[in-house]
Amino acid sequence: MEEKARLSDVGEFISEYSAHMMGCGVHTSRVIRSARRIGVAYGYDVKISVFQRTIILTLFDRETHEHFNDVVEVQPLPISFEHNARLSALSWKAFDEHLPLSAVKEEYQRVLESPAIHPFFVLMMVGIANASFCRLFGGDWLSMGIVFSSTVCGMFLRQKMTGAGINNYIVFVVSAFIASLCASASLIFDTTSETAITTSVLFLVPGVPLINGVIDILEGHVMTGVSRLVQAGLLIICIAIGLSFTLLLVKDSLL
Amino acid sequence: MIVVDILSDALFAALAGVGFGAISDPPMRAFRFIAVLAAVGHACRYCLMTYAGIDISTASFIGALSIGFGALWLGKSARTPMTVLYIPALLPMIPGKYAYNMVFSQIMFLQNLGNAVERTRYMEMFFSNAMVTCTVVFMLAVGATLPMFIFPARAASLTRVKY
Repeated sequence: MEEKARLSDVGEFISEYSAHMMGCGVHTSRVIRSARRIGVAYGYDVKISVFQRTIILTLFDRETHEHFNDVVEVQPLPISFEHNARLSALSWKAFDEHLPLSAVKEEYQRVLESPAIHPFFVLMMVGIANASFCRLFGGDWLSMGIVFSSTVCGMFLRQKMTGAGINNYIVFVVSAFIASLCASASLIFDTTSETAITTSVLFLVPGVPLINGVIDILEGHVMTGVSRLVQAGLLIICIAIGLSFTLLLVKDSLL
Repeated sequence: MIVVDILSDALFAALAGVGFGAISDPPMRAFRFIAVLAAVGHACRYCLMTYAGIDISTASFIGALSIGFGALWLGKSARTPMTVLYIPALLPMIPGKYAYNMVFSQIMFLQNLGNAVERTRYMEMFFSNAMVTCTVVFMLAVGATLPMFIFPARAASLTRVKY
């Protein structure tokens, strides 16, 4: 039988793994489940406590009664469903195939290094999505075109500002302002301009933390759930602030 | 004509779901499933609201429930956790119009502090829109998550490779 992986090695890997999952928008119970699964795969019990910014975990070896403790910081990372899916699958792979720790670490690195979807593709997709959204709210073709272009402007700005490391709240206020300002160009034309302005900022809605927050609360992880909702709420307030600047400028034409 | 309306609603919901999903970096193989789920959920809500006269929160709940069960069913073929499929699919159902009216009425309330009639009107408008927005978002999340609680074992093992 091959030698058991060292407690500290497994522990360090699990802390990094769970902090990464928590950072990239995975709901709490899945993080805990996957971390435990990897622990079990190497014959250790994992006891884990998850907060918004830190994770505290203990690994326990039933045979030698040794413990490994760690407190790890959760870094806010861009949301990635790809990482969510592949890292979850990795935990099952480690569990089912009894992979050596080195192989699991290699696979983990591969997942982290895999390229994200090209920003230009995302930009176009988001533009089309918001234009379709405008249609769902009863906008006409002209409004859809205006929403497409204003979304592309807003999203481009968001990508660039996020890339430059500017504070997220400021990014949201500015993007919402610019997107809605561009959409307010629709007031010149005879079109469904209110719908256009409404939809132009909706690509910023933080859907993932909103829904993850509710899932966490329903599953009993009330603290992380509430902190996710508070975070999402702050971002929504930022969108509202950005939108209000535009509305203050054009409100007389809307009434 | 009714069929065309429903189909166009489904088509635009699918486009919106896929596009908003792209922001969150989903696996490429998940896109078609997201499109199907977004289309089904939104068309379901559209039918319930337009033809059955059901209110927006109940209709959203039923739409979200269909997305949730769909994600549980399709998750195995996509080999992704349920949330990867259903969060983007839910996004087209976010009640943007009500959220917008909420912000708009708040601004108008602050602009009309001296005018009692207008102030009360915007206050009322703010609360009714806030009520609808919050209820619908909560119902969406609960509806889509419910299948996860009904079938916890399956929901937890969607990314597992079956031998």
